[in-house]
Amino acid sequence: MMNLLTEPVGVSHYLVVGAILFVSGVVCMATKRNALGVLMGIELVLNGANVNFIAFSSPALQGNSGFSIGLDGQVIALFVIVLAAAEAAVALAITLNFYNNHATIDVDQADELKG
Amino acid sequence: MTSTQLLSFLVFFPAAGAAALAFFPKHKIEAMRWFTLGVTAIVALLAIWMCWQGGKEGQFSTGEAALQSAFSHPWISSFNIFYFMGLDGISFPLVVLTAVLCVFVMGASWTITRHVKAYCILFLLLETGMLGVFMSLDFFLFYVFWEVMLLPMYFLIGVWGGPRREYAAIKFFLYTLVGSVLMLIAILALYFSSDLGLLTPQQLVETRVAKDLDVATELAAKHQTSPGGDHTFNIMALAKIGQHPNSPFNVELLWGKSLQWWAFLLLFIGFAIKVPAVPVHTWLPDAHVEAPTPISMILAGVLLKMGGYGIIRICYPICPDGGYELATFVCTIGVLSMVYGAFAALAQKDFKRMVAYSSVSHMGYVVLGLGVWSATKDYQFDPKYWAMGMNGAMFQMIAHGISSAGMFFMVGVIYERVHHRNLDEFGGLFARMPVYSGLAIGIFFAGLGLPGLCGFIGEVLVTLSVWNYSHALAVISASVVVLTAAYILWALQRVYLGAEYKGPNADHITPMTRREFAIAAPLLVLAIWFGVMPQSLFNYMEPSVTKTADDLATWTRTVKNANLMGTDGAVTEKQLPAATNLVLNQSQVP
Amino acid sequence: MDLANTLPVLLGLACLVPLVSFVLIVLFGARMGKHGEYAAYVATGAILIAFALSSVAMVGWMGEHKPDSAHAEHADGADHTSDTTHAAAASHAGEAGHTADAAHHVSHSDHAKPEYSGEIYPLAVIGTQLKLSISYYIDTLTVVMFCMVTLIASCIHFYAIGYMHDELHEVTDHEVHLRNGHHLVRPGRFHRFFQYLSLFCFSMLSLVYAGNIAMVFVFWELVGICSYFLIGFYFERHSASNAANKAFITNRVGDFGMLIGMMALWGSLGTFTFADTKGADGQVVQVGIFSQVRTEENHFELVVPDGMVRAAAASQVGELVGKRSLTPEAAAAQVAAETPGWREQGFGYWLLCIAGLGIFCGCVGKSAQFPLHVWLPDAMEGPTPVSALVHSATMVAAGVYLVGRFYPVFTPEVLLVIAYIGGITLFIAATIAITAVDIKRVLAYSTVSQLGYMMLALGIGGWVAGLFHLITHAFFKSLLFMCPGSVIHACHTNDMTKMGGLRHKMPWTAYTMLIGCLAIIGAGIPFVIGFSGYYSKDAIIAQALTFKNANPDHAVLFYTAAGGAALTAFYMFRLWFMTFSGPPRDHHIYDHAHESPRVMYIPLVILSVFAVSVGWGIFHLTDLLEQARPAGILTKATGTLLTVTIPNEHDSHEHAIHTAATWIAFGTALSGLLVAVLFYGIRKVDPAEVQQTFRPIYRFLVNKWHFDELYRAIFIHPLLFLSRRVADIDRSVIDPFINRCAWGVRKLAVLDDAIDRLGVDAAVNVTARGIRALGNSLRVVQTGQLRQYVTFIVIGTVALFVLASFVWSYSWAGN
Repeated sequence: MMNLLTEPVGVSHYLVVGAILFVSGVVCMATKRNALGVLMGIELVLNGANVNFIAFSSPALQGNSGFSIGLDGQVIALFVIVLAAAEAAVALAITLNFYNNHATIDVDQADELKG
Repeated sequence: MTSTQLLSFLVFFPAAGAAALAFFPKHKIEAMRWFTLGVTAIVALLAIWMCWQGGKEGQFSTGEAALQSAFSHPWISSFNIFYFMGLDGISFPLVVLTAVLCVFVMGASWTITRHVKAYCILFLLLETGMLGVFMSLDFFLFYVFWEVMLLPMYFLIGVWGGPRREYAAIKFFLYTLVGSVLMLIAILALYFSSDLGLLTPQQLVETRVAKDLDVATELAAKHQTSPGGDHTFNIMALAKIGQHPNSPFNVELLWGKSLQWWAFLLLFIGFAIKVPAVPVHTWLPDAHVEAPTPISMILAGVLLKMGGYGIIRICYPICPDGGYELATFVCTIGVLSMVYGAFAALAQKDFKRMVAYSSVSHMGYVVLGLGVWSATKDYQFDPKYWAMGMNGAMFQMIAHGISSAGMFFMVGVIYERVHHRNLDEFGGLFARMPVYSGLAIGIFFAGLGLPGLCGFIGEVLVTLSVWNYSHALAVISASVVVLTAAYILWALQRVYLGAEYKGPNADHITPMTRREFAIAAPLLVLAIWFGVMPQSLFNYMEPSVTKTADDLATWTRTVKNANLMGTDGAVTEKQLPAATNLVLNQSQVP
Repeated sequence: MDLANTLPVLLGLACLVPLVSFVLIVLFGARMGKHGEYAAYVATGAILIAFALSSVAMVGWMGEHKPDSAHAEHADGADHTSDTTHAAAASHAGEAGHTADAAHHVSHSDHAKPEYSGEIYPLAVIGTQLKLSISYYIDTLTVVMFCMVTLIASCIHFYAIGYMHDELHEVTDHEVHLRNGHHLVRPGRFHRFFQYLSLFCFSMLSLVYAGNIAMVFVFWELVGICSYFLIGFYFERHSASNAANKAFITNRVGDFGMLIGMMALWGSLGTFTFADTKGADGQVVQVGIFSQVRTEENHFELVVPDGMVRAAAASQVGELVGKRSLTPEAAAAQVAAETPGWREQGFGYWLLCIAGLGIFCGCVGKSAQFPLHVWLPDAMEGPTPVSALVHSATMVAAGVYLVGRFYPVFTPEVLLVIAYIGGITLFIAATIAITAVDIKRVLAYSTVSQLGYMMLALGIGGWVAGLFHLITHAFFKSLLFMCPGSVIHACHTNDMTKMGGLRHKMPWTAYTMLIGCLAIIGAGIPFVIGFSGYYSKDAIIAQALTFKNANPDHAVLFYTAAGGAALTAFYMFRLWFMTFSGPPRDHHIYDHAHESPRVMYIPLVILSVFAVSVGWGIFHLTDLLEQARPAGILTKATGTLLTVTIPNEHDSHEHAIHTAATWIAFGTALSGLLVAVLFYGIRKVDPAEVQQTFRPIYRFLVNKWHFDELYRAIFIHPLLFLSRRVADIDRSVIDPFINRCAWGVRKLAVLDDAIDRLGVDAAVNVTARGIRALGNSLRVVQTGQLRQYVTFIVIGTVALFVLASFVWSYSWAGN
């Protein structure tokens, strides 16, 4: 852990940031009752993943031929962003609709799919 | 019109008519009847046109033994199943009989008043099935038509029949189904052991496996090399294979008996049920008694003939060895049916049941005539008496088709009026219904085998042919003439003669209607025609039937005798091909 | 006249004209005049045309083949070469006779008689060899029969116009009682009667015309069916329809035998034609039965034909033919070479006997011979013209005709059987006739008895004698039937005990009847002249005497013939006296009796003329028959299976025999006649007393030897019993078996159903239920709480990682 702080910024750092973002997002999803909060958590998770993709495909790793994966990481990150946008749009629509019907956006109230 | 079109039209036109009937409004009963009659009439006219000796394509020319108007198209190629149809002297008369009889039967169907539409549709489907059975020469196709015919019959008895119709219909259906299952086993056994490689190119053309000689040569070469042999459902080709000296059907199957023997037995039982022969005949009296009049007519007139047709077309040519070994069995069954049926008819109280048993007795002649394998070495392999028996049997089938249909119709006419069939409660009808009684007596005399009417020729030819096969059976079969006279005359006396009518509904006895006359009179005319000029029928059937007997006699001499003879030196390798060649050469003669 | 072409046409037309009449009456009979009265003219016209055609044929025949009438006088020699038992006859004939004899032998035995045969159209051609056809065979016998049948039929048609007159209007049948107590009243059936008569004439003439045994059989059955219709003409009467059935079925029993005979012929010879069939160039293409049995090379002596020998020696044939070393042609040649040897060994002889006996069986049925004679008396239920035509003169004589026609084929053994059957019949029928009181039944039994005579004559070698009697009998018996018909027409009863003295009322009938009676008993002045029966009966007795001399073991046949003659005379005159003489027994009937109309008694007169004179030389009857005699049957024949010698018929013309026979015939007839006069003429003896004395015998005879009861007990009842049992087999064996099978299958189905439900289904259901329970238990996890799901995902992911790091890392490490 300490080594991380002393080292020059490398992939590991990105990964740490990504992990933090991911965990924050998951915690957010698990704890927030407000649907919008959950959506934000999702965004965090996705972005955590994005950071990882970017990190693995960053030029800093170019020297290591074993890890050379070109632009693939960036491209996938872009896809994820687009996907996130689309997902957000759909999720917000669901949320809005749910609100119209139940006058709340508390996800605990939305348990109609229970088995 | 090509032969494909012609025969297909004959077979499927009634089915098309049935389809068209589906669009008729339900209440247009009279229109439906006339339409159905029209359809059957067109088929009959076409069939009669084919009898004409005009030399046109499709017309059946007499004096020829070979197949005519035959065609063969691939149907299910992976199993070598062909849409193979054709006519020869054996099937053609039966086709014409079916077509013509259907018109009369439809005419007799005016008395059907319930569910007319369904009745007409089923009736036309039945006609398709019957014609198909007689025309198809591919075993599989044959079997399909055989079953096609079964179902409409079941409904026709089961829906429009008498009080015990369900019992009768199910009995009929199950009996026949047992027969066809046995048949199916035999068909498959024969198919899987058949090998087209045994046939020469000439024979391949003859049996319509190949179109012409070039194709045949190519095919023959291919057959020879193909491992395990090329199987076939072609009835003609199977016959050639069955009569081949190295027939694959000779392999031992079970209990020391060959495949042929078992196949013959299974097929024969299947057909004997249809004939029907004693002891598998009991469906017939019940079916007849319960069936409505027109269905009884078709049942006796056509359906029973399929059994006889199957025996002569399939059993004997394909399994000659089985036929040779089982000839005594077949003849005994035939004589048993004749005697048994006659005795049973003598005891009946129900008019229709009596006629039904007379059918059993008369069809016994058919089985007997087909079975008298007198072309043995004791008679110098001369098949003439056997050929006569077969011809007599075939004639008997046609004659019985006319006379029994007429008899059932006559019973139906009186039943329509008084609604009972108890023989002891009739009497005096001659005075009340003179025209009807006159025609009825004529037709019953045709059944009695009176010379000058159609029943005589078949009976006498069969009876005469039996002598050289077995004196004992001949004497027994001749004695049936006495019993036949007894039961028919006794019935006539109780129904038509006497001073007055003794049963119920006396005031419903009205003279014959014009429609009834139009059905009965032509039947009697036909009965007289075939009784006086039987040669007009033999012209069509005799060459093919005689050739069947000739082929089998040749087989006896060259194949069977060769295998049997041990005393005169063992069969050498050198002699066997010679025998083979003789078979091949003889069968190549057109 | 070119007989070969014209005769078949003439006689064929004679057959067909009645058929045309039949068809016309069937179709338009009811519309022919009032109540169909013109139908009678159509039918009568038709038979007259047939008679004219037959007469023309006869004239033509006489012109071409004038019979040699000399032989009857110089025929007293015999075939010495074949005769040892006839030493007496030979010494009588002397040296001169010997030479005459040799010439005679040549002229009668070695020459085929004039005959014409040919085919009209084929019925069935099977293969290249077998052929059934409609063909003709015309010889002198055919022409004679045609003339006889058409002449008698013409007379009877005229007679029937009068007799059936009642049928022109409504008929009240007094013998039929309806349930409501009234008698039956029905419309007349005048035209129907003539329709059947025409059909009968057609069938009968065609039967005689027939050129092969199959065609004979065809028309044999057709005359049978006409007889059925005519016996059952009053079908409202139960007795009539019963009699009709009895006649037809009894005949069928005979036909059954005939079929067997035909089989034996057909199966071995392959042909039915009598004569050789010739091709267009005159070559013989198919050898007829007669030529096969009696070949010209063999001087027409009876030999077993090749076909029969081979058929009987079938296993020997099979041994040769089955040899592989022989080609089919070589085998056939060897069979042909062996055939004479087999014939020597006796192969085929029994087949020839069976063929003969079989054909004779048919004749037994048709000619009402013992044991099938029972139908003929019952057949009298038909109208009297029918009895006269069908059941006495023509149809029943067809059996005798066929025996005559088929004579060349009969072996001596068969002839002996024929003789014995004839003798038995003759005796039985004559005894029954003595006691019968129904006038028609007396005549019916007399017919049976006379037919027995003919059979006897044929059986003992009297070919001409038998057929001569056939012709003469036809004339006097039809006459004898028509007279009682006239009586019945007048009295409306058949019962002789109610008649008597009728000769005053109906003289024409009575005296023509007397002529008939005299004819049948063979009255005549010995050696001078006599009624027709005198000649024919003498011939028979003479032949019987010859036969007795040749076969002392079979002398009983001669005594039967002689005794029969006495019985005949007795019962015939009993009938005449009871009916026509003495005081009337029933005055009511007597008062109403009247002579019949002219249309009825003129035929009687015509027939009585023939009954008197047909045996006279002017008709050349014996000469014609002598000409018709089949080649070779004059030779003396000896049986091989039974000891019998069939003598040469010409031996009976020998003077001593002839004289003795004439006196015997005269004496027996006279004694019978005298006894009848004693009983019924001058009434010196009371018949009732005699009946009382011989009561058991009388009862036995009145009950017709109990034949009906016997047959009922041993044939009809067992047959009906058997038929019921057979029907029962269906009802109570086969059907229950089938039904039991069906029941078993249904039970099996129930069992199968149980297995299905308790076994297979249960297993499937248990599995399904378990899975369902599992699902239910897992349901609780699905809370619908989004946050919970996220938590699970996290926990799950972490758990996966943990698992991966602990478990899978080893395997990866190993990689």
